[in-house]
Amino acid sequence: MTLEWLHPGLLLIVGAWALPLLKGRLKRTAMLVLPAAALIDCLLMTPGTYGVTSFLGQELVFGRVDRLSLVFSYVFSIMGFLGMVYALHVKDDSQHVAALTYVGGALGVTFAGDFLSLYVFWELMAISSSLLVLLRRETSAVGAGFRYLLVHIFGGLLLLAGIVLHWSQTGSLAFGDMAAYSGGLAWAMILAAFLLNAAVPPLGAWLPDAYPEATVTGAVFMTAFTTKSAVYALLRGFAGTELLVWLGAVMAVYGVVYAVLENDARRLLAYHIISQVGYMVCGVGIGTALATNGATAHAFAHILYKALLFMGAGAVLQTTGLRKLNEMGGLYKTMPITLGLYMIGAFAISAVPLFSGFVSKSMVVAAAGENHRAVIFLMLTLASAGTFLHTGLKLPYYMFFGKDSGKQGKEPPGNMLVAMGLAAAACILIGVFPGLLYERLPNPVDFVPYTLQHVTSTLGMLGFTALGFFLLLKQLDPVPTISLDTDWFYRRGATGLLTLVRGPLARLEYGFVGEIYEFVIRRPVLGAANLFRKLDSFVVDSAIVGVGRSTQNLSQVLRSMVSGNAQHYGLIMAAGVVALLAVAIFVR
Amino acid sequence: MSFLQRQLEDPVRFARIKRLFYAGLAVVAVAEIVLPRLFHGTESHFSFEDFPAWGSLYGLVSCVAIIVVSKLIGKLWLMRREDYYDS
Repeated sequence: MTLEWLHPGLLLIVGAWALPLLKGRLKRTAMLVLPAAALIDCLLMTPGTYGVTSFLGQELVFGRVDRLSLVFSYVFSIMGFLGMVYALHVKDDSQHVAALTYVGGALGVTFAGDFLSLYVFWELMAISSSLLVLLRRETSAVGAGFRYLLVHIFGGLLLLAGIVLHWSQTGSLAFGDMAAYSGGLAWAMILAAFLLNAAVPPLGAWLPDAYPEATVTGAVFMTAFTTKSAVYALLRGFAGTELLVWLGAVMAVYGVVYAVLENDARRLLAYHIISQVGYMVCGVGIGTALATNGATAHAFAHILYKALLFMGAGAVLQTTGLRKLNEMGGLYKTMPITLGLYMIGAFAISAVPLFSGFVSKSMVVAAAGENHRAVIFLMLTLASAGTFLHTGLKLPYYMFFGKDSGKQGKEPPGNMLVAMGLAAAACILIGVFPGLLYERLPNPVDFVPYTLQHVTSTLGMLGFTALGFFLLLKQLDPVPTISLDTDWFYRRGATGLLTLVRGPLARLEYGFVGEIYEFVIRRPVLGAANLFRKLDSFVVDSAIVGVGRSTQNLSQVLRSMVSGNAQHYGLIMAAGVVALLAVAIFVR
Repeated sequence: MSFLQRQLEDPVRFARIKRLFYAGLAVVAVAEIVLPRLFHGTESHFSFEDFPAWGSLYGLVSCVAIIVVSKLIGKLWLMRREDYYDS
């Protein structure tokens, strides 16, 4: 790394360790200065390749700076700053170190130009983010944190295996468009690892499992980085992969379906992360200039409004201790500012005109339309209605209005309100001046969000979704349940597997398999061995004994002849000569 | 008592909000039918988008479909007691 280029991720990862050494005002200043410095660092960068080092004969690129990595680095460092403002009052240094390392890891992934450095930062993110769950230090959080870590270690190993295979097949570690290797095993493994981090079903159940269990401030960080850095990696390597179009659209609807059933406020929001990332994955799959712009813009806008929504739900959790919708209600009287700021995030995610989601989500939907994909278009629009239904109507209704729970809330600490205010301002700024975001997108933008038809049909869709909500309000009353997701397989399925192994399988092993072994393997083998032993003792041994005996007999005969007496030898020789003479005379 | 609380807890004022909401819906639906025709500003990709008040209709249908279908799947299959994973 040269002086002309400073890695913003490294700045955060190394700088984070200064926090435990500082105290009071100085520490709080450092908490804000570090992400702000990273943001300025990113803003000052010019496209190019930096931080190239040689390792094991391979070129590692820590600084691939182009339009795609730059726009992601801006939003990652902005989010790092907002998250630190929100967490400023927290007195737990380990959380701050973990959070800054996590942000630094995401920036590392963004600027990685080769698979090896990508992998290192990928794993750093997995470990630091699992700490944000574990550090809530409650039984349910520790369990969820370990499940989260195990799932991500599995994903990381999948990525590593894919990388090693890709390296051995191509001899290159460069991370670029993977379309040329489409269908290969290495391609599939790397894609699966990216999809796991993007929380694409059926690999995505870790997200709603872990995020609601994280600390109030940690969850705000988590909503931003893991899934969106995976979207970045997909954009970089897998743009135009048809499979992603369908996975993305299914994902958008899947998150909405689960949100209907969900009772935990932050888990409901977590399912809407899956739904929103679905739009991005779909955009990556469509792969046209408009679609990849849309995926990027939506990732940018989504990070800000989703953080705002989690900040709002976190504020309620922090001041009232409530996380379940069926226990909340009536909080608008005591938390009006939180309500107002939350609603700005809700309007942004619902794509209400003049809010950020309107200018970003519509790019992906329009790309599906431009591509004549009617089914995808309808699925994405349906998911839009579902997003407003839950995040914009159901959640605020039951959290802030609805039946008064009698629980007294109060506004959260000032720094949390400031962070929410800044995020809300960003949501409105992007919605009112979309050009600010559009001019930073990877491809030139030729898209106008504010057309008459788009605005009126969006307002109609949202308005009548609200009508449907109030008509079916009774159906939506939250019930204290949880919903099965694919995490069942490792939470209950694994227990079932163990019971199966301990009970029936063990009996099967000792009884049936053991008996079969006795009759099919052990006895025949013993029998055969016995037979061979007999064969050995009777045939082979007797043969050897026989050979020995005859040798001995012959030796006896020879011994009687070989007496060592010269007279005997002379006699035998004389007898031989006489015999020869006799033969010579008589044969003639 | 805050402004918001007065609006929501006074039945007369709440009824007025309700009326405003329905009036707003009517305005939006009519605008969606009339305005694109008035200004010829259609940029539809599919023919179904040109159906009168398409956005409003699809919004209502989507909302109802999501609630009904999800609840059905949930009740038949996915929903479990809260301590399901603890036992």
